[in-house]
Amino acid sequence: MASSFAVKRLQRELIKLQAQTPPGITLISANDFSEWHLDIRVLDDTNPLYTNQTYRLRFTFSATYPIEPPEVVFLTRAPNGADPPVLNDYPVPMHPHVYSNGIICLDLLDKQAWSPVHNVESVCISLQSMLTGNRKNERPPNDADFVRSNMRRPRDISFLFHDEKV
Amino acid sequence: MSLYQAEQLKEHGNAHFKRGEYDEAIARYSQAIQQNSNNPLLYTNRANARLKMKLWEDAMDDCMRSISLMAENMKAFYFLGQAQLELHHPNEALSSALMAYDLCSKSSHQTSSAFAITGFVLKCKKAKWDLREKDRVRRRHDLLGELESKLEEDKKREISSIEERKVTGELGSVAASEETEATTETTQQKIEELRNSFAISDPNHLEKREVPEYLVDDISFEIMHDPVVTRHGHSYERATIVEHLKRNPVDPLTREPLSVSDLRPNLALRKACDEFWNNNSGWAFDW
Repeated sequence: MASSFAVKRLQRELIKLQAQTPPGITLISANDFSEWHLDIRVLDDTNPLYTNQTYRLRFTFSATYPIEPPEVVFLTRAPNGADPPVLNDYPVPMHPHVYSNGIICLDLLDKQAWSPVHNVESVCISLQSMLTGNRKNERPPNDADFVRSNMRRPRDISFLFHDEKV
Repeated sequence: MSLYQAEQLKEHGNAHFKRGEYDEAIARYSQAIQQNSNNPLLYTNRANARLKMKLWEDAMDDCMRSISLMAENMKAFYFLGQAQLELHHPNEALSSALMAYDLCSKSSHQTSSAFAITGFVLKCKKAKWDLREKDRVRRRHDLLGELESKLEEDKKREISSIEERKVTGELGSVAASEETEATTETTQQKIEELRNSFAISDPNHLEKREVPEYLVDDISFEIMHDPVVTRHGHSYERATIVEHLKRNPVDPLTREPLSVSDLRPNLALRKACDEFWNNNSGWAFDW
């Protein structure tokens, strides 16, 4: 649920996104001002990890956006996908900061590091560049445990940003 | 005795007003004024009820009378402005509104009205701009002016036929006022549509409908009113940057520590924003 402050700002963002998006970023759906879906692709063909893959992002906005960050995850299943899913409807990119359930550990999405001058487009670009710069075909070290045990919303998790190398 | 009666009648009037029985309220206030013609509040209360009944001229009379009894009369100026705006005198309405705003900001116990009056000031500015814009567009497009008057004439004809049907009893008063409102709205939409079409065909006009990036606050994405500048020279709308700093006292761009006391008004940019509002408030209001 977004406040009128958030709604106004999201309206402006939507007008811009509908007019033009940067290369490799596509607006899929924005039916309301609480949840948007966007697709991103990695444009660097020399990086074999992400060639010919499209990843779907889900942005969830609170009433305090953009003072507080949106919640951003890689979607694994289409909203009306098969239940239970045999395979993931959407791939989740391989990255040491991306869990296989789509949860992303990126400092700018954390409450402390978020800045209200970021927006949906700049978050997409940051995620693109986070993937582009990665050559490790790895999940985070505690991926299996985390995916099995995590019941929290991404916004309630405080990640430790200890590994600045990737 | 008559002062007491006047006070009683006023209370009765207020009770009627609260229940939405405006004609009853007006009758009580009028009786109260017969008992005591020197109480400015009786006139402002009756003006408010008359506004509800769309008796614009009568409401204006009451406001003038109230102001003559008490010059520093925020409510009377506020009601006066509303009646003037309805009677299509946006310039007069704006000066009344500014008078009310001034009195309101000076007074300590009436601050709750400040928000409503600020909104009303903007509305008057928009009406004033609309009037000027209409003149300008008409000068440039005689055809458009002609079409607009035709639409207005049609509207008047439509409304008088509704009035006739109301008099003959063919239409109930509720149905009649609903139809009148619908007709007014349809006409307004048609005129809007017509003006848009003309504006689109005018390349000079289109260029002006852009908001320069430097007038837009990077947090709310709105045109600024009261820009403040950070140590690094970046400007934000005061209200939004303060909201951010309450939660996280760092510069949004550099992430260096930043507090409200570090902010300075950006007077030159504020002038640029004011100028933009003055020249474009008609459409920038809804941007």
